[in-house]
Amino acid sequence: MKKGSLYTILYAAVLGITCAVALTAVDRFTETRKVANVQAEEVQDILTVLGVPFDAQASSSDLLTVYESMVDEEEINGLTFFVSRHPEAGKLLATRFSGPGLLAPIEGLICLEEDMRTIYAISFYKQEETPGLGGQISSADFQDQFRGKMIVGPLGYPGIHLVNDGADQVNEIDAITGATMTSDKVEDMLSEIIERIIARSGADGA
Amino acid sequence: MAHSGPVVCAVCGGSGPCDGKGKETLRAGVWVTNPVSVQVLGICSALAVTNKLENALVMGAALTFVCVGTNLFVSLLRNVTPRRIRMIAEVAIIATFVIIFDQVLRAYYLEMSKQLGPYVGLIITNCIIMGRAEAFALSNRPVVSMLDGLANGLGYAVVLGIIGFVRELMGTGALFGHQILGAEWYTPNQLMILAPGAFIALGFLIALHNAITGVNKPEGKGN
Repeated sequence: MKKGSLYTILYAAVLGITCAVALTAVDRFTETRKVANVQAEEVQDILTVLGVPFDAQASSSDLLTVYESMVDEEEINGLTFFVSRHPEAGKLLATRFSGPGLLAPIEGLICLEEDMRTIYAISFYKQEETPGLGGQISSADFQDQFRGKMIVGPLGYPGIHLVNDGADQVNEIDAITGATMTSDKVEDMLSEIIERIIARSGADGA
Repeated sequence: MAHSGPVVCAVCGGSGPCDGKGKETLRAGVWVTNPVSVQVLGICSALAVTNKLENALVMGAALTFVCVGTNLFVSLLRNVTPRRIRMIAEVAIIATFVIIFDQVLRAYYLEMSKQLGPYVGLIITNCIIMGRAEAFALSNRPVVSMLDGLANGLGYAVVLGIIGFVRELMGTGALFGHQILGAEWYTPNQLMILAPGAFIALGFLIALHNAITGVNKPEGKGN
């Protein structure tokens, strides 16, 4: 069937609008569930880094209940801290950090003990670094290295360093081989958040 | 229009909604011209998501849903679609169905959505969908086109299911995450979980299909 240009344009417009309307409808229909999923994920990340036990299969509303009963939020100098009381480690404070990675933005949470200097746990919950190399930053092996380390060096300089020849200082971490660029970025974003934390806890810390 | 080898029933005397070729269409999609094991289409996703049976089945369901929906709409619009923009129109329809499935998966089965990663979205570029729209839906009535979409979707899902079954069972000793082969006597073969395992499993499956159907001659000239 021969059809003119005007018809073609009209056809494309009508088809395009129909598809757009259908997609908008689906988006609206699924929106509440998607928002709840995102929330549940955030809550899960925070609970994990604070060491609060929860059922991994729990529904998003159950997770929110656990979160609300166990975690307080404190806003200090523009940094939001998620505060929880751990049965063994005592008061724990976690805050978010983020920065550019090698391939995509990296986001994570750093959890400190009450002295605001000792790391209780760290989590890089969002990253798209090279799988097997930089991507290893979200592996348990790498993240567990941070436990018990300090955010301040022996001489009092703030910052965590990712080194490649044995991490023997209190603020050194054994970096991932083959992921120098990612390590540099991680070091930068940690330095930034650590400086802000130290500025906020300033006098009482050092 | 290039028919990429599907067997379309020559006897069109049927008066039913499927024009008398329903059974043949189903048989062609699932077995005779199976999109994966015979036409070797869509194997990127078939290899990527089959390290677990559950992932493979959800991916099969996604492709079936998209293929049925696309074939229905392409067929319904086949007489009003201007020929020169038909492929863009097909892509728009395919993309709509893919995004619908992706959104629903994200809302109701987030864990699976994460495991399948980009592969649900990549169904838009899957040759099976576009191939069936071009080769079948453009020249057939809606009901039989839907059947063709269903058959090809099932053909894809069955192959993925078999590969997923073999890979998960051999690679982890489990099915649907439940341990089947005893850990005390079965050592999981990690190769099956990795990419080479997918190629090996698919290769054996195609060989088996060829052995059963007896198709083992070199392809004819032309397309």
